Amino acid sequence: MSEYIVKENALVDFFKSLASGRRLLTPQGLGDKCKLEETPPDKVNLDFSNTHMSPKSLLFPQTEALMAFHNDASKPQAFVYQSLGDKGEPLAVFGIRPCDAKGLSIANKVFQNDRFTDNYWKGKIDQAVLVGLACDNPSPQCFCAAMGGSPFGEAGLDVLAFRQGKDLGLKPLTPKGEELVKASGAQTANLADAIKGLEAEAVKSQGVPPDYKGIDNADLMALFNDPHWLATAENCLNCGVCTFFCPTCHCFDIQDETSEKGGVRMRNWDTCMSWLFTVHGTGHNPRPSKTERVRQRFMHKLKYIPLKQDGVRGCTGCGRCVAMCPVNIDIRSVALKMTQTAASQA
Amino acid sequence: MNNPYLPYPVRIAEIRVETEDKNLRTFKFEFLNPEDEEKFAYLPGQFAELSVPGQGEIPIGIASSPSEKGFVLFTVNRVGQVSSYMHNMKAGDVMGIRGPLGHPYPLDKLKGRNIVIIAGGFAVTTLRSTITYLLQPKVRPDFGKITFIYGARSPGLLLYKDEWMAWEKRDDIDVFVTIDREVPNWGYKVGFVPAVTKEVCPPPENTSALICGPPVMIKFTQPVLEEAGYQHENIIMSLENRMKCGLGICGRCNVGPEYVCKDGPVFTLAQLNRLPKEY
Ligand SMILES: Cc1cc2nc3c(=O)[nH]c(=O)nc-3n(C[C@H](O)[C@H](O)[C@H](O)COP(=O)(O)OP(=O)(O)OC[C@H]3O[C@@H](n4cnc5c(N)ncnc54)[C@H](O)[C@@H]3O)c2cc1C
Ligand code: SF4
Ligand code: SF4
Ligand code: FES
Repeated sequence: MSEYIVKENALVDFFKSLASGRRLLTPQGLGDKCKLEETPPDKVNLDFSNTHMSPKSLLFPQTEALMAFHNDASKPQAFVYQSLGDKGEPLAVFGIRPCDAKGLSIANKVFQNDRFTDNYWKGKIDQAVLVGLACDNPSPQCFCAAMGGSPFGEAGLDVLAFRQGKDLGLKPLTPKGEELVKASGAQTANLADAIKGLEAEAVKSQGVPPDYKGIDNADLMALFNDPHWLATAENCLNCGVCTFFCPTCHCFDIQDETSEKGGVRMRNWDTCMSWLFTVHGTGHNPRPSKTERVRQRFMHKLKYIPLKQDGVRGCTGCGRCVAMCPVNIDIRSVALKMTQTAASQA
Repeated sequence: MNNPYLPYPVRIAEIRVETEDKNLRTFKFEFLNPEDEEKFAYLPGQFAELSVPGQGEIPIGIASSPSEKGFVLFTVNRVGQVSSYMHNMKAGDVMGIRGPLGHPYPLDKLKGRNIVIIAGGFAVTTLRSTITYLLQPKVRPDFGKITFIYGARSPGLLLYKDEWMAWEKRDDIDVFVTIDREVPNWGYKVGFVPAVTKEVCPPPENTSALICGPPVMIKFTQPVLEEAGYQHENIIMSLENRMKCGLGICGRCNVGPEYVCKDGPVFTLAQLNRLPKEY
């Protein structure tokens, strides 16, 4: 696949073509108001840092009705749950950042795992085309490179877009992306070298990334049993804000809601920071205190997910949890402690 | 698209009170749509989510054996919201079951071996499935000696009485049922499961142990098996963790990188030794 270019004066037409037959969502608003919204093709904004929330709710809404039943015994199918459908619709999402697209690709391997496919997720992702916008000027809160990503990362995207002066470069990454780009009338252009140059500059702006490779090679139980977790977790409030913002956190709860006529089975985002998350009906809790729960979050991101996903870390370095944590717990410091554990075991 | 969250509708055909404290009841379900029974093809050791409309779902081991056609059995302890609600349901009520979930006991890999089955309390459910399966005339010759050790606090707390009494009379399975303390007219063993295991468990050569029970029973039975010479690869257990999806997606039931629902619930002790004890 070659690259393509959209000249500045053709940008609106390009976004019109993205919006044809689909809803076009792009980041709108500033700062903590920045979020993915339906956008008229002439109102697309390329000057944003990143959305306040991760884009996961597009595919995995914070609360979602899965199925419903009625309780009228005089009618057929009383007390039998019927699916409410996956509610997918054709979407073009423009402006996802590479860290967030990578986050979706990690969650995708959970929602479509080696044994089961979550139809509610699949129904949405299959109808979405994801066009990322590379970060030529990464925000100071980001550390994608330290986590094995790049401001020009491609994971999870159908097309990577990047700024070429005032024009927009496009690199299709999947057949779905290629089709979209071809239909848009963008001109082919050989931009491979240009991308390399821009990427190198963007990576450089994040400084020399710390090396967490020791964690990958370390013994799981050595990392798990290290005494630092007590101190690492000491200030944590178990508020769950970190998991709420994280593009790769995918845990949910399932709850039934009833009315006079029947009920609905809902799923809602949940958090491993909560005591209730793991407590058994008997009262026994395998993760009884915040130390175990904080350890779970970081072990999951930095050890368990890499073990299950060919070395890819479950943190993409978007920086949201670091920015939002009320007590300044920083996954980079935790990764460093884990790296030290690994070194002392080696 | 197939929806792995959508339960198959079932009707409660029968409810049997299993224990004298009435805390355990066995539910016999029949599928409302006969074709769902085929889709629910399972093996001993797997579990299902029992779905009560408006109340929620609970993961429960399948107590029937795939050789028993036309129904499925689950034995439910009264614990909290959903299980207590189920204890107040009646025959004829409609609910749902979703599965089968998890991996079965690796019986296909145990062919030609002796099997010792050790159960404590109501954790015997999926082992009832296993024994019923193994004792089928077509299956039984594939395995060596079968030994069943089963304990509960008192006679009234033992499940599946008719069944283990019938097994006791057979000559192709050795059955040792035990209670904690002597009671009048009790014709079987007395003592804790680990002690009985020490006394009767077969030699470790070409033998695998399947063990399910409360944590204290496992804690004290494991050393007995080790002392007898059992390798950790040949000690097979089934874990429980709080669950929701049963599909390895909701993230709730993990033990290290493994999801008990999707990658378990059956693990060998050798596998568990390499994992955090978060269960
Ligand atoms: C693989 C497996 C097999 C099981 N087999 C059996 C069995 O054969 N018989 C039996 O009586 N019990 C079994 N259990 C335990 C049973 O699932 C819990 O007792 C039950 O979920 C309690 O639900 P509740 O709604 O009554 O309690 P509540 O405390 O009100 O629980 C609320 C919800 O939390 C979850 N939950 C709570 N405790 C557990 C738990 N220990 N395990 C999983 N989820 C839990 C359920 O989703 C439940 O609906 C098994 C558990 C697992 C994981
Ligand atoms: S945001 Fe910070 S305080 Fe809150 S649960 Fe996460 S690590 Fe703990
Ligand atoms: S762990 Fe924090 S920095 Fe890493 S992807 Fe999640 S929210 Fe972003
Ligand atoms: S119960 Fe959802 S991941 Fe195991």
